[in-house]
Amino acid sequence: MFSISLRADSISKIYGAGLLSEGRCVFQNVSFEIRPGETFGLTGPSGEGKSTLGRVIAGIEKPTYGTVYYEDSSLSEMKKTKYMAFRRKVQIMFQDPTGAFNPRKRIGSSVFDVLKLLKIPNIEHASKTKEMLITIGLSEEVLSRYPSQLSGGQLQRLAIGRILLLEPEYIILDEPTSALDVSVQAQILHMLKNVQTEKNIGYILISHDQAVIRFMSDTCGLLESGQLRVIE
Amino acid sequence: MNQFDCTDNSCMKEAGIEGFSEKKSEGSNFEFPEETSYWIFQKHKGFQGLFNRIGVFLFILFVLMALFPSVFAPYAPEERFIPYEAPSEEHLLGTNDIGNDILSELAFGARISMTVGFMAALISTLIGTALGLCAGYFRGALDELLMGFTDVVLVIPKIPLIIVMGAFLRPSIWILISILGLLSWESTARVTRSKTLQLRGAGYVKSAQCMGFSSYHIMKSDIFPNIIHILFPKFMLATASAMISEASLSFLGLGDLSMKSWGMMLSFAFSQGGFIRDMWWWYMPPGICITLCVLSIALIGFGLEAKEGEHFKEGANTL
Repeated sequence: MFSISLRADSISKIYGAGLLSEGRCVFQNVSFEIRPGETFGLTGPSGEGKSTLGRVIAGIEKPTYGTVYYEDSSLSEMKKTKYMAFRRKVQIMFQDPTGAFNPRKRIGSSVFDVLKLLKIPNIEHASKTKEMLITIGLSEEVLSRYPSQLSGGQLQRLAIGRILLLEPEYIILDEPTSALDVSVQAQILHMLKNVQTEKNIGYILISHDQAVIRFMSDTCGLLESGQLRVIE
Repeated sequence: MNQFDCTDNSCMKEAGIEGFSEKKSEGSNFEFPEETSYWIFQKHKGFQGLFNRIGVFLFILFVLMALFPSVFAPYAPEERFIPYEAPSEEHLLGTNDIGNDILSELAFGARISMTVGFMAALISTLIGTALGLCAGYFRGALDELLMGFTDVVLVIPKIPLIIVMGAFLRPSIWILISILGLLSWESTARVTRSKTLQLRGAGYVKSAQCMGFSSYHIMKSDIFPNIIHILFPKFMLATASAMISEASLSFLGLGDLSMKSWGMMLSFAFSQGGFIRDMWWWYMPPGICITLCVLSIALIGFGLEAKEGEHFKEGANTL
């Protein structure tokens, strides 16, 4: 049956493998599946490859072995049109909010670039942007600012907002709140929950913080010693 | 109560929620942020600042001379007077072997010398930037191929090659510009590649890749604006280097005889007896002009490099 899940099937990542070296195995035989509206929490000690796994699922990095499936199609065998659809539907949000935006561009310019990418007519840019800003709870004033002039919380909201313009089905949240103050963390997490309920988005939440994982996740996975242990 | 509930104003303010944002409180006093400035006067003081100012002043003077030579030249460059005339009220820098006014030749020669310098630097900067961006962004086999090619170009001796080509082709400034431009992009390519390698790992580049932006868009819109501050000083220093090469080649008689640059003036002074007759007013002015013009461009280039260093130290380059 046709399914719109995002699935990792026995994926492994090995760095530096070659003729003379076996390389360093970051993780191996990792399998899990998420569906829109669900949150899969991924936790584990530092350096165990959580972010690498996130990037592999997002299609930014290729797995050494195994396959990532989106809508039952393997990423490695996807045709260009299908891959472009995947590219829009599966997004990643990085830990550092200050690095999410080009430091030499005003926020408005970074946002409008996404609208242009989606081939939305110029006349609709203002309304779409306004709608997005209402969702993330920021004023239009931020559009004229440079990233260095906004707080971490504001930037993280804008990063989410910009991703939402693409109407994704899945977002990989790579430590989305670890660089933020505790009170701001709460705001961001609540916003993510609201957005998920409203738009039926699936999250893969990568975090060290057990409380954050418990609060957000339906299913949780512990990545340790290269193995993923899924806890329902 | 949920542990994540946060209703007090302080946390709302931290989160930057509308109505509580510290930026919002500025109200009508809101000002657009300052653009990143490349103006070299801003931070330099003491000797460095003084040298930069002298460099900019001289450079503007030479650019004006190149753009409006008739303002500086009392006569047309081809107009003839009494040959070998020493400096006088009528001819401030005297005349040459065929009676041309040296000051007028000097003013009109600025255009040729600076055209060669800027055009060659433009070609080399464009090639270096394009190759460096592609090598750094795509990496892999393309990077290996382009950097291998860069190493090959790096070891080609330019002046001997131009001498050989001059023997086969009719000397012209366009050939000179092409050769100098096509063979001096290696250092720009290397610098661009290393900076691109650094930037391709930045969050905003990764985000753009994930959103499905094309590689061309990412290089043009996200990477190039962040390396332009490195390219500008490279362009200035390439201009100075091309001007010296042009002067050297013209002095060797490989320049375009129909276009009298400063180097060509020196060449004529040497071949037509200016040096033997000790006619300093013939050979000194183009020599001084080449030196000062190259120095002014180099001073601006160094100033911009120093500014880039300061910019980096201040953390304005945060990825």
